[in-house]
Amino acid sequence: MYVIFTDTDTDLTPEKAEQYGYHLISMPYSIDGETTYPYVDFKSFDSHAFYDRLRGGVLPNTSAISEEQYKSYFEPFFKEGKDILYVHFSRAMTMTFEAMDRAVQELQKKYPDRSFYAVDTKGITIGSLNLVEEIGDLYQAGKTPQEILNWAKEEVDRFAVYFFADDLRFFKHSGRVSGLAGTMGTLLGVRPIIHMNSEGKMVSVGKEKGRTKAVERLVKTVEDLGDHVADHRVIVAHTDAPEIAKELCALLRERLGENLNIELVDVNPTAGSHCGPNTVGVSFHAKHR
Amino acid sequence: MKAERIDGILFEAMLRQGAVNLERHRQAVNDLNVFPIPDGDTGDNMYMTISAGTQELSGKEHSISRVSSSAARGMLLGARGNSGVILSRLFAGIARGLDGKDEAGVPDLCDAFSLGVREAYDAVSEPTEGTILTVFREGVSYAEDRVSRESTAESFFDDFLLELRRSLERTPDLLDVLRESGVVDSGGAGFVCIAEGMKSALEGSAAEEAEMETQGAASARIDFSLFSEDSVLEYGYCTEFLLRLQRSKGEIERFDLSGLVSYLNTIGNSVVAFREGSIVKVHVHTMTPGVVLNHCQQFGEFLTLKIENMTLQHSERIAENRDPLRKQAPHKRYGIIAVASGSGIKNLFSSLGCDAVIEGGQSMNPAAEDFIRAFETINAETIFVFPNNGNVILTAQQAAALYDKARIIVLESKTIGEGYAAISMLDTNEENTEAIIGEMEEIIAGVKTGSVSQASRDSQLDGFEICSGDYIGFCGKQILSDSPEKPKAALSLLERMNAGESDILLMIYGCGTQETEARSVYDAVTKLYPRTETIMIDGGQPIYDYIFVLE
Repeated sequence: MYVIFTDTDTDLTPEKAEQYGYHLISMPYSIDGETTYPYVDFKSFDSHAFYDRLRGGVLPNTSAISEEQYKSYFEPFFKEGKDILYVHFSRAMTMTFEAMDRAVQELQKKYPDRSFYAVDTKGITIGSLNLVEEIGDLYQAGKTPQEILNWAKEEVDRFAVYFFADDLRFFKHSGRVSGLAGTMGTLLGVRPIIHMNSEGKMVSVGKEKGRTKAVERLVKTVEDLGDHVADHRVIVAHTDAPEIAKELCALLRERLGENLNIELVDVNPTAGSHCGPNTVGVSFHAKHR
Repeated sequence: MKAERIDGILFEAMLRQGAVNLERHRQAVNDLNVFPIPDGDTGDNMYMTISAGTQELSGKEHSISRVSSSAARGMLLGARGNSGVILSRLFAGIARGLDGKDEAGVPDLCDAFSLGVREAYDAVSEPTEGTILTVFREGVSYAEDRVSRESTAESFFDDFLLELRRSLERTPDLLDVLRESGVVDSGGAGFVCIAEGMKSALEGSAAEEAEMETQGAASARIDFSLFSEDSVLEYGYCTEFLLRLQRSKGEIERFDLSGLVSYLNTIGNSVVAFREGSIVKVHVHTMTPGVVLNHCQQFGEFLTLKIENMTLQHSERIAENRDPLRKQAPHKRYGIIAVASGSGIKNLFSSLGCDAVIEGGQSMNPAAEDFIRAFETINAETIFVFPNNGNVILTAQQAAALYDKARIIVLESKTIGEGYAAISMLDTNEENTEAIIGEMEEIIAGVKTGSVSQASRDSQLDGFEICSGDYIGFCGKQILSDSPEKPKAALSLLERMNAGESDILLMIYGCGTQETEARSVYDAVTKLYPRTETIMIDGGQPIYDYIFVLE
């Protein structure tokens, strides 16, 4: 018997979590010293209101949760005699999993018979979400943790995510993207194209001028890099840029088939704090990342 | 008696007088502008260029070879604008022809001037007839044909100048744009001014005025950026004046010069003071020129006064080691230099990742030397240069040819928009330089830049009846809109440029445009062209009230 966990950084909403049977760990952000835990401190996420604040010049911070917080999430299930499989966002992007490791070590001393399994999605937001949902399906289908880990070993690298940025302030503030043509402070219509590499880090892979070309670049990337795209979810996410996201969806359907299973999601505020408003991206099944 | 041969002393006087005469007609040459907006600067460019040459001269050199080569070197480095570059190469050719000669007779002049023609034509990849090139070539060819045994240097110059003037009058027959605008070629006109000055010196009439020109040129070369908001006054001010002792202020006969000198030594150094009758000449280096002046004014009033910040003077002399940080600049694969004017636009380029932004543009073209200084501040294997004007490209190329410590690639960006479009997409992670060049050229070709500026005279162009004071919108050399109202001229320009078909519209408003007006134009543009991503920038540039960059 085991339960599955994921965190809010993977863009999974409480409603969907319930469908799959996921328990959700809330990853906080803070603005002006006030810390907010998504889906703990609010019921539903008002994407427009949040990203509009960022447009107004607010630069949020994100923080790791503590060892104690991890314990309070995990211990009740160990106590009940259940094992845990945690499908989490990229370890390479955060220090938070060190606290988790310590918490798990402590708990395993206390509950030596219990097992803890972790899947590093090596992504964040929809880069993780595609894997989170696939694993949710497997869980629902009654797969064992080991079967899921084996699946993940092959498949984590097969879900690619590409997105473009609109405002570099947020990326610079978070310091989490490498190769961002370093010196640019103002984008002025230039959109860096960023992806998550197989180490789970955000890397800039080029740039495009203007929204139209940037959207086209994403579509082209799905065409070129995609592998059995239609057999999996294609997830499109945006940070309060629904028009551009819909344009991307329409183009994807036009070029890759009308029956494409496209899911349109809002980027969660904690991950969104790193990329700022008007970011649009796509996650899909690929030959490689 | 006519001068038969020209030596170094005389040639220097001729060059100086040429510069003086051009200075006198500088504005008139500037105004020979095809476009009816006040952005012509051929006179300025040519004057700055020839002054950079005469500045190298000491007045003591007897060899015409040395004088002409020093002047040519100064001009090559100081060349601004296309006409300045051509002028510098013209004199470089002449200097080559005079190489090794102490003085020049008529045959030497013929040879040297012919070399000048060849070198000037080589300066541009596609020589245009009806310009300074034609005027000079025809002048030389006519003078050569008239050479006889009786010819003297002076008669050679008489013929030369006669044909220069006639050729200048013919330039509108060769260039349609000149004929349509009813002007003669500005570069050719500038050269005629120089030649007139040279001839009058040859006739020995004008040594004094040449003196004045030296001073003008010196001040033109000062680089004010050397003394910034954060600079510390280290060397003080070189303070020089002539003081007329006044009877109303005391007995002139009892004025104590040695007392003044010892006082000046307490608040300065390098004191030189002497007296002739009621005039006292004072030279002192001091941190507090005001104190010196107040003290001296108790004895009389000033006839002349000159105070110069010696950090600027000093920096001229130690230019080689001016920037102590230069040697530590991290080595990079690529450096980027842009030419821009307007504080907002300069900031824009800095934020795009330019290592240096050279001030200049349509008016105030930078000199080749300005580029070389910028090259020296960048420790890179390859430096990309993005001019903002067709009149800057040649200067940049000349600077590139004179510099050998890095590979210099001058992209032919002719507007601020082309430079922005290219630099913003320049990927410094790309290892293949040729690929970058190809991409930059492609981007530059895909940019349309439109500008709005105020007409400075009535004219008829491209089917528009333009009244002085109207706002005209133009793209390249073509006028696309004309209205007494600036926002109307701007919006109708955008319509003619099919702004709705572009992905990106960068709207850069100049120092002559109020922010509220720019905002209303921006609002109108975003409504008219919702598919086009419009970005508004306070460029602060002169002359162009709006610059629109469409991609």
